[in-house]
Amino acid sequence: MIQLGELALWVALPIALWGTVIAFVGGRNRRGDMVLSAERAVYAVFLLTVLTSIAISLAFVEDRFDFWYVANYSNRELPLFYKISGLWAGQRGSLVFWVLWLSFFSSLAVWQNRDRNREFMPYVTGTLLTVMSFFLIVLLFADVYPFEKLPFTPQDGRGLNPQLQNYWMTIHPPTLYLGFTAFTVPFAFAVSALLSGRLDASWIQVTRRWTLVSWFFLGNGILFGMRWAYEELGWGGYWFWDPVENASLLPWLTATAFLHSIQIQEKRGMLKVWNMSLVFLTFIMTIFATFLTRSGLIESVHTFAQELRIAYIFLTFMGLLIAAGVVLILWRKDDLKSDNQIQSFLSRESAFLFNNLILLGAAFTVIWGTLFPLITEGLTGEKANVGPPFFNRVNIPIGLILLALTGIGPVIAWRRASKRNLVRNFLKPVAMGVGLVAVLVTIGTRDPWALATFGIGAFVMTVIVVEFWKGTRARARIEGEGLARAFVHLIARNRRRWGGYIVHAAIVVIFAAFAASSFDTEVRDSIFPGDQLTVQSAFGHSYTLTYNGLSTSRGQGDWVIQWIALFDVERDGERLGTMTAERRFYTDSETPSSEVGIRSTWYEDLYVILAEVADMSGVLGGQAGEAERAVIEVQVNPLVSWIWYGGLILTIGSLIALWPTEGRARSAGTAVGEAAEPATGPAAVTT
Amino acid sequence: MILTVGAVLFACAVVLYVLQPLLTGTEAPLGRGWDEITEAEARTAAALKALRDVEYDYHTGKLDDRDYESLRGELTAEAVAALRDEEADAGDRPALQTATPDTESIEREILRVREQFRAGTACGECGHRNPDGSRFCAACGRRVRAA
Repeated sequence: MIQLGELALWVALPIALWGTVIAFVGGRNRRGDMVLSAERAVYAVFLLTVLTSIAISLAFVEDRFDFWYVANYSNRELPLFYKISGLWAGQRGSLVFWVLWLSFFSSLAVWQNRDRNREFMPYVTGTLLTVMSFFLIVLLFADVYPFEKLPFTPQDGRGLNPQLQNYWMTIHPPTLYLGFTAFTVPFAFAVSALLSGRLDASWIQVTRRWTLVSWFFLGNGILFGMRWAYEELGWGGYWFWDPVENASLLPWLTATAFLHSIQIQEKRGMLKVWNMSLVFLTFIMTIFATFLTRSGLIESVHTFAQELRIAYIFLTFMGLLIAAGVVLILWRKDDLKSDNQIQSFLSRESAFLFNNLILLGAAFTVIWGTLFPLITEGLTGEKANVGPPFFNRVNIPIGLILLALTGIGPVIAWRRASKRNLVRNFLKPVAMGVGLVAVLVTIGTRDPWALATFGIGAFVMTVIVVEFWKGTRARARIEGEGLARAFVHLIARNRRRWGGYIVHAAIVVIFAAFAASSFDTEVRDSIFPGDQLTVQSAFGHSYTLTYNGLSTSRGQGDWVIQWIALFDVERDGERLGTMTAERRFYTDSETPSSEVGIRSTWYEDLYVILAEVADMSGVLGGQAGEAERAVIEVQVNPLVSWIWYGGLILTIGSLIALWPTEGRARSAGTAVGEAAEPATGPAAVTT
Repeated sequence: MILTVGAVLFACAVVLYVLQPLLTGTEAPLGRGWDEITEAEARTAAALKALRDVEYDYHTGKLDDRDYESLRGELTAEAVAALRDEEADAGDRPALQTATPDTESIEREILRVREQFRAGTACGECGHRNPDGSRFCAACGRRVRAA
């Protein structure tokens, strides 16, 4: 079976290359048989990559340490769970994993468009297969061959990096990869629209939905990563501006910009070059993210790959993509002229444009900060990391402007808004924002950024609630429906708008959680069993932890030694129960790791870290007393749960926006069904 | 040995599957499907949606009366122009006689569209105008009037 998977990988490349050539040739010469052959090549590559992926996971499960990849990322004692996910544990497997998802989404796109958007499909297929071919070439010829054999078979493998031994390992990377790879479909449609010259509204329709799919997975992937980082100490809380975290944020930022500016093109026929550039940029960012993770160029907690040859291959590919984008857009620049101009500075269009500039500004600062160490190393020979202070200083103000725009945009009318109406519509939300700030100042909040975030957050939330209310009321009045019915119909009739607003609400909730981190409290002390630590929370609670000593345990057949600190926890004198915090030592890789204890409520998290144990081997030998002295850090982090709640709201909003309109018999009827979704029902037109 | 033969056979089957269209002349369609909307139809739909957005903005207090009136005028003209193109494309009914839309013909067209919405024959979802007595939209399949 493993040989079959290996053979499948070798068969996949010629098929992908064949498909690439035949798709472009068939598209150019209008040869339906060639295009069909290319489309079948997409399905074939998917099938072959599935076999390759199964083979790799099987090699892990069967402990085939004669394979370099398995020997380096697994050992006999690794739980089955992590053996199966060995496929994406290291560079080699995760490149296969990339092709797996890419070929899956490509197959889905080809199948979905088997009898619509046919004019686009030859070049779409060709582009998808080009990207697949690139990754297959990397896999087979860039020193990252996943089936490379060792000259001998070791008794056991080197084991999986302990930081990766967390259940999020099976969730976070796949979700992120789904996001990265799904964006290849919008990219392929953009390339096809440029090549075929069909630059009207139809490619935008297909692209928008696929972008939303990719954006949704990227966002969730990032949030899952934050959750993982939060649970694994040493990764610096939930966000550390680590190069790979940044890399995953970049396509998300540019895709967010695209999802907004695309509406201006749909409604006004403007910003065509800009949108095209955003599609290219976002796709290049997904490749860049893969490149950063998988080249080892920049020091990062994620970098488990060190080869440089692959870096040059990726850089060349990105260079070619940029060149292709510039050439294609210049070639079609006459067809990409705007149909209209912005009528007024006070309009939804200009708010969206502003939002785009800010998002790209954020993306630029993140790229700059991420690549800065590399640039300084090139120039001065020394790596200079910019670190979180740089990112926070630059991105907090940018984030706040974006947050404010999520509230300002919806209140401004399309085309031109009048000042008088703006003032009237802003009055209540601004009052709410100012009111909240006043209350927070009164109760002693002084952090200016936190105050600004909460103030703007309250403003945006009020805007959203008022929008829902006004929309419902208008619909109820016009259609003569009850409020509840009108509310449901309102959302159902324009899912994009209302799904979008729900996503905005999610962003507010998440930002509030970020701002609350400035109210984190902590104590750190070296204590003996029986000692107590007390920490005050920002919400006025007092947590007392009583240290009950250490217990030890050996897991995974002695591969892991655990020192577990036990605590009794009280809040305001009332007993809550027990908590544990652990230190682990993985003997195979000789790496220590830390497992924090978290007790979470909706408004604050108690977060306990076992930072040091005085005499680890003594404790292991059964000694008590002095040996059990430990350095304990206790933090109370307010509103952290709101990030995860925000993620949930984000998912709900995205699903509403993505939910297909039923009964779309006409296919670009995607266009009809959606373009014509009335805001307040058909009656609105007749009023 | 059996494994090798099986693997080779499998690889051959995959290659054959990919090459089969060229060998047998099976073709994938390359043109626009009969049921796909045309550029003009898409523009009509977009114009109607823009009109509805203006209505929505007006009803939720984002536009004042003067802007609302003038925007509605502009958008109506856009919608009519798109409708006319669509009709010219379709060729199943004569295009409006005047080449340059004067206010009167726009008003007439709008009146007609409104009548059709009132009568329930114009689809509230996609704007397609159905023959009198239609219960379902011929374009998108939605119910156009209460049965």
